[in-house]
Amino acid sequence: MQEKTITITIDERGNSTLDLEGFAGQGCEKVFDDFRGGDMVKVERKKPAYYTGHVVEREKIQR
Amino acid sequence: MSKYGETVTQVREEKYLLEALTEMGYEVEVHPEGVHLNSYYEEQEAKVANIIIRRQHLRGAYGDIGFTRQPDGQLAVIKDELDEYRGYGARWLGRVQQLYKEKQTLAMARAKGYTLKSREVIETSQGEQVRLQFVARR
Repeated sequence: MQEKTITITIDERGNSTLDLEGFAGQGCEKVFDDFRGGDMVKVERKKPAYYTGHVVEREKIQR
Repeated sequence: MSKYGETVTQVREEKYLLEALTEMGYEVEVHPEGVHLNSYYEEQEAKVANIIIRRQHLRGAYGDIGFTRQPDGQLAVIKDELDEYRGYGARWLGRVQQLYKEKQTLAMARAKGYTLKSREVIETSQGEQVRLQFVARR
Protein backbone atom coordinates (compact mmCIF):
# COMPACT_ATOMS: atom_id res chain seq x y z
CA MET A 1 0.00 0.00 0.00
CA GLN A 2 1.34 3.41 -0.95
CA GLU A 3 2.40 5.68 1.90
CA LYS A 4 0.19 8.73 2.39
CA THR A 5 2.38 11.79 2.64
CA ILE A 6 1.73 15.50 3.08
CA THR A 7 4.42 17.97 2.08
CA ILE A 8 3.98 21.57 3.11
CA THR A 9 6.43 24.18 1.91
CA ILE A 10 6.32 27.55 3.65
CA ASP A 11 7.91 30.33 1.64
CA GLU A 12 9.77 33.42 2.82
CA ARG A 13 6.51 35.39 3.00
CA GLY A 14 4.85 32.76 5.16
CA ASN A 15 2.58 31.49 2.40
CA SER A 16 2.54 27.79 1.68
CA THR A 17 2.02 25.04 -0.83
CA LEU A 18 0.39 21.75 0.09
CA ASP A 19 1.19 18.57 -1.77
CA LEU A 20 -0.75 15.41 -0.90
CA GLU A 21 0.32 12.03 -2.22
CA GLY A 22 -1.37 8.67 -1.93
CA PHE A 23 -4.78 10.00 -0.95
CA ALA A 24 -8.08 9.54 -2.69
CA GLY A 25 -11.62 10.84 -2.30
CA GLN A 26 -12.99 12.42 0.86
CA GLY A 27 -9.94 11.47 2.93
CA CYS A 28 -7.95 13.78 0.72
CA GLU A 29 -10.31 16.69 1.38
CA LYS A 30 -10.13 16.20 5.13
CA VAL A 31 -6.33 16.18 5.16
CA PHE A 32 -6.24 19.24 2.91
CA ASP A 33 -8.55 21.11 5.30
CA ASP A 34 -6.48 20.04 8.32
CA PHE A 35 -3.32 21.49 6.83
CA ARG A 36 -4.95 24.57 5.33
CA GLY A 37 -5.49 25.72 8.92
CA GLY A 38 -8.08 28.37 8.07
CA ASP A 39 -5.85 30.06 5.52
CA MET A 40 -7.17 31.44 2.26
CA VAL A 41 -6.81 29.03 -0.66
CA LYS A 42 -5.25 30.63 -3.73
CA VAL A 43 -4.84 27.54 -5.92
CA GLU A 44 -6.43 24.11 -5.51
CA ARG A 45 -5.99 21.25 -7.95
CA LYS A 46 -7.05 17.63 -7.85
CA LYS A 47 -4.83 15.12 -9.57
CA PRO A 48 -5.92 11.91 -11.28
CA ALA A 49 -4.94 9.88 -8.22
CA TYR A 50 -7.72 11.65 -6.35
CA TYR A 51 -10.19 9.56 -8.32
CA THR A 52 -8.28 6.29 -8.71
CA GLY A 53 -6.19 6.10 -5.58
CA HIS A 54 -3.04 5.41 -7.67
CA VAL A 55 -0.24 7.73 -8.57
CA VAL A 56 -0.37 8.32 -12.30
CA GLU A 57 1.39 11.64 -12.47
CA ARG A 58 4.18 13.20 -10.53
CA GLU A 59 4.86 16.88 -10.69
CA LYS A 60 7.87 18.82 -9.59
CA ILE A 61 7.13 22.17 -8.06
CA GLN A 62 9.44 24.87 -9.33
CA ARG A 63 9.17 28.31 -7.79
CA MET B 1 0.01 13.01 -5.91
CA SER B 2 -3.63 13.40 -5.29
CA LYS B 3 -4.00 17.06 -4.53
CA TYR B 4 -2.03 20.27 -4.72
CA GLY B 5 -2.86 23.66 -3.26
CA GLU B 6 -1.44 27.08 -2.48
CA THR B 7 -2.60 29.07 0.52
CA VAL B 8 -2.12 32.59 1.83
CA THR B 9 -1.32 32.59 5.53
CA GLN B 10 -3.72 34.49 7.76
CA VAL B 11 -2.43 35.17 11.27
CA ARG B 12 -5.32 34.51 13.64
CA GLU B 13 -3.97 32.45 16.53
CA GLU B 14 -2.23 34.55 19.17
CA LYS B 15 -0.42 31.56 20.67
CA TYR B 16 1.60 30.79 17.54
CA LEU B 17 2.29 34.46 16.84
CA LEU B 18 3.74 34.82 20.35
CA GLU B 19 5.84 31.68 19.83
CA ALA B 20 7.13 33.04 16.53
CA LEU B 21 8.08 36.44 17.95
CA THR B 22 9.70 34.86 20.99
CA GLU B 23 11.76 32.58 18.75
CA MET B 24 12.93 35.68 16.89
CA GLY B 25 14.28 36.90 20.23
CA TYR B 26 11.72 39.58 21.10
CA GLU B 27 10.16 40.39 24.44
CA VAL B 28 6.47 40.63 23.75
CA GLU B 29 3.65 42.34 25.66
CA VAL B 30 0.11 41.01 25.46
CA HIS B 31 -2.81 43.38 26.09
CA PRO B 32 -6.22 41.79 25.47
CA GLU B 33 -7.90 45.20 25.74
CA GLY B 34 -5.27 46.95 23.62
CA VAL B 35 -2.84 49.74 24.57
CA HIS B 36 -1.19 52.58 22.67
CA LEU B 37 1.92 52.17 20.59
CA ASN B 38 4.78 54.64 20.92
CA SER B 39 5.81 56.23 17.64
CA TYR B 40 8.67 58.43 16.48
CA TYR B 41 6.54 61.54 16.07
CA GLU B 42 4.64 62.26 19.25
CA GLU B 43 2.04 64.28 17.38
CA GLN B 44 1.01 61.19 15.38
CA GLU B 45 -2.30 59.68 16.37
CA ALA B 46 -1.58 56.88 18.84
CA LYS B 47 -2.48 53.48 17.48
CA VAL B 48 -3.75 50.67 19.66
CA ALA B 49 -2.44 47.10 19.57
CA ASN B 50 -3.02 43.84 21.44
CA ILE B 51 0.44 42.35 21.00
CA ILE B 52 3.39 44.72 21.23
CA ILE B 53 7.14 44.66 20.82
CA ARG B 54 8.51 47.87 22.34
CA ARG B 55 11.07 49.78 20.32
CA GLN B 56 13.81 49.27 22.90
CA HIS B 57 13.71 45.60 21.89
CA LEU B 58 13.72 46.41 18.16
CA ARG B 59 17.21 47.31 17.06
CA GLY B 60 17.19 50.53 15.07
CA ALA B 61 13.41 50.95 15.06
CA TYR B 62 11.73 54.34 15.40
CA GLY B 63 8.55 53.05 16.98
CA ASP B 64 6.92 50.07 18.65
CA ILE B 65 5.53 47.30 16.46
CA GLY B 66 2.14 45.88 17.31
CA PHE B 67 -0.46 43.43 16.13
CA THR B 68 -4.12 44.33 16.40
CA ARG B 69 -7.12 42.03 16.29
CA GLN B 70 -9.28 42.88 13.30
CA PRO B 71 -13.08 42.44 13.06
CA ASP B 72 -12.52 39.34 10.87
CA GLY B 73 -10.31 37.75 13.55
CA GLN B 74 -6.96 38.31 11.87
CA LEU B 75 -4.04 39.89 13.70
CA ALA B 76 -2.74 42.74 11.53
CA VAL B 77 0.65 44.35 12.00
CA ILE B 78 0.80 48.05 12.92
CA LYS B 79 4.06 49.93 12.78
CA ASP B 80 5.69 53.21 11.97
CA GLU B 81 6.09 53.65 8.20
CA LEU B 82 9.66 54.78 8.79
CA ASP B 83 10.48 51.32 10.10
CA GLU B 84 9.80 49.80 6.67
CA TYR B 85 13.30 51.01 5.86
CA ARG B 86 14.85 50.05 9.19
CA GLY B 87 14.67 46.31 8.72
CA TYR B 88 11.01 45.83 9.65
CA GLY B 89 9.40 45.77 6.22
CA ALA B 90 7.91 42.97 4.15
CA ARG B 91 10.87 40.66 4.63
CA TRP B 92 10.65 40.92 8.42
CA LEU B 93 6.90 40.35 8.41
CA GLY B 94 7.37 37.40 6.05
CA ARG B 95 9.73 35.79 8.54
CA VAL B 96 7.18 36.30 11.33
CA GLN B 97 4.47 34.69 9.21
CA GLN B 98 6.74 31.84 8.15
CA LEU B 99 7.53 30.96 11.76
CA TYR B 100 3.85 31.37 12.69
CA LYS B 101 2.77 28.98 9.95
CA GLU B 102 5.39 26.40 10.87
CA LYS B 103 4.41 26.42 14.54
CA GLN B 104 0.71 26.28 13.73
CA THR B 105 1.24 23.39 11.29
CA LEU B 106 3.38 21.36 13.70
CA ALA B 107 0.87 21.81 16.54
CA MET B 108 -2.09 20.87 14.35
CA ALA B 109 -0.30 17.81 12.97
CA ARG B 110 0.63 16.64 16.47
CA ALA B 111 -2.94 17.11 17.70
CA LYS B 112 -4.46 15.21 14.76
CA GLY B 113 -2.03 12.32 14.75
CA TYR B 114 0.13 13.05 11.70
CA THR B 115 3.76 12.01 12.03
CA LEU B 116 6.53 14.45 11.11
CA LYS B 117 8.88 12.65 8.74
CA SER B 118 11.30 15.43 7.83
CA ARG B 119 12.01 19.14 8.09
CA GLU B 120 14.20 20.88 5.54
CA VAL B 121 15.30 24.47 5.11
CA ILE B 122 15.75 25.30 1.44
CA GLU B 123 17.75 28.27 0.20
CA THR B 124 16.18 30.07 -2.75
CA SER B 125 16.95 33.35 -4.47
CA GLN B 126 13.99 34.91 -2.64
CA GLY B 127 14.95 33.58 0.78
CA GLU B 128 14.66 30.49 2.95
CA GLN B 129 11.76 28.12 2.58
CA VAL B 130 10.78 25.53 5.18
CA ARG B 131 9.59 22.16 3.95
CA LEU B 132 7.79 19.83 6.34
CA GLN B 133 6.85 16.31 5.36
CA PHE B 134 4.25 14.34 7.32
CA VAL B 135 2.90 10.81 7.08
CA ALA B 136 -0.75 9.97 7.68
CA ARG B 137 -1.22 6.87 9.80
CA ARG B 138 -4.38 5.74 8.00
